[in-house]
Amino acid sequence: MPRAIPGVLVECDASIKAIINRINDQHDHDFIIEDIDDEHVLIKSSKLDELKLLLKDALKDSVRENEDSSESD
Amino acid sequence: MSSTASQRALDYLEQLPGTTFTKLYQQPSTALAIFRRMLPHLAKNLVMAMLYMPAPFPIADLDAWIKPDSENAQAKDRALSILQRLRILEESDGRSYKLADAFARSLRLALTGGGNHRSFGVPCSTPDAKAMTVGWLDTFARQQWEAILYYVVGSVANATLGGEVQEISEGTKQLLQKGEFVTVKGSGARAATAITEKGFSFLLQEVNAQIWTLLIVYLEVSGELQMDPVDVLSFLFTLGSLELGISYSTSNLTPTQQQMLEDLADFGLIYRRATDTSRYYPTRLATTLTSDAPALPNSSLTATTTTQLNNNAANSTFDLAAQSEKGYIIVETNYRLYAYTNSPLLISILSLFTQLQTRYPNLITAKITKRSIQTAITSGITSQQIIEYLTAHAHPILRRQAPILPPTVVDQIRLWQIEGERMTAWRGYLIRDVGSQEDYEKAVQYAEALGVLRKEFRSKGWFFVSRMDQMSGYFKNLAARRREAMAAQAAASQSGRSSAAPP
Repeated sequence: MPRAIPGVLVECDASIKAIINRINDQHDHDFIIEDIDDEHVLIKSSKLDELKLLLKDALKDSVRENEDSSESD
Repeated sequence: MSSTASQRALDYLEQLPGTTFTKLYQQPSTALAIFRRMLPHLAKNLVMAMLYMPAPFPIADLDAWIKPDSENAQAKDRALSILQRLRILEESDGRSYKLADAFARSLRLALTGGGNHRSFGVPCSTPDAKAMTVGWLDTFARQQWEAILYYVVGSVANATLGGEVQEISEGTKQLLQKGEFVTVKGSGARAATAITEKGFSFLLQEVNAQIWTLLIVYLEVSGELQMDPVDVLSFLFTLGSLELGISYSTSNLTPTQQQMLEDLADFGLIYRRATDTSRYYPTRLATTLTSDAPALPNSSLTATTTTQLNNNAANSTFDLAAQSEKGYIIVETNYRLYAYTNSPLLISILSLFTQLQTRYPNLITAKITKRSIQTAITSGITSQQIIEYLTAHAHPILRRQAPILPPTVVDQIRLWQIEGERMTAWRGYLIRDVGSQEDYEKAVQYAEALGVLRKEFRSKGWFFVSRMDQMSGYFKNLAARRREAMAAQAAASQSGRSSAAPP
């Protein structure tokens, strides 16, 4: 019998996927419903906004933003 | 009315029921306004030809009038489709066309005069002691309308430019929110409005299209307020036929139209003295509703200060359309931006997506930075809209080159938008355990035909759909068919056995 699981399908590249996995581990596995493959993951609908925020924070820590490159000339 | 503006009005009219059209066409002013603004030339020709025809016009004769090559045939199809969508042309018994009775009668009245329909407004019989000049009315209309635009742009730059522009009424604010031009963030005293994607494309239109966009929101809301849309629409079309600088009497207006006067005064379409409610003056915004003329002359708030425009002679005659063709923005490859303007409105628009640096009397300098673009994108403006705005308002010097904007800047604006989007997300349903490979293929094909398939993971035998209702129907039917087949098979084997065994 076919099963249908409601949720949000997230598509991203493998590096972002790794961060999402880490966030999931840090939060009692409360985000991911189904780990599909390296670039796709199904997460809980209610958690999408929270995940976006956490991902943004994580990126801010790991990727140095070159904010002022266009300021100086 | 520009093509976009008439398109907007047309889209609204089309979805009205047929009876509304019959009521609308009772007014000669409406019939005339629709005839002169909404119809392509060929359609006008057809209407004029058929206006005094005593009998329906056979389709075969119509085809004989039009050259059979593909270009003309297309024009004919377009004209006929518009005429039919506006319920002007009716097909009788499938072989001939006739004009709708109400429309034909009203248009004849409008063209040749006669009748006591009063649908072109009734000028005040007594002269106004303090008659309003055309110049004053133009200034009034401009102030009212630009205050609305300024409100849409939002409070970003209001702190520095405040005082130059007046407040708009509470009703208009609600209307702008209803039309999703602005959203309100926070509540109570700290509530602040912010422009939306829709609001930004509203700003990018020319004035006449903006008025129609707002009026159509007004029409939609007026239905909820128990105002008769026929009354509202026919009054708008009447306004389009009034003469600038003459006061009209309010005595022949319906209660709905009396109620509208106040709102229209807020938009700057009419002017009415608080002390004398028996007369109103249409402004240029209203009288150009159904015409080609520019809606806002001598617009100081949006005035740009490009050199050609700076002499006074040009200033008094130029209009917004010509001005947006002139353009006032120079973008350099180093992300610097120079805008020849002293208008608070244009400066506010620029401040939505650039970092303002210096303001000179006729020029402001600004810089496109990652931060400024991403702030704009967070508030719902897209990189595409920013690029379109810069292109549409590029200075003539930039226009001489192709491409108009420096490609590096355009690409970078796009990249800054993509950068914020590290992942894409779709809401929907993951379907798994479909069964055999063949069942899987069929289910995926069905989902694709419905247009709900988002992604398939063939190796796992899973797929993802955006909507489930029809898919679950499909699976239920499939299961039901399976059960029936099994039951039939069982019954067949049962009956086979029973027939084999004698009773």
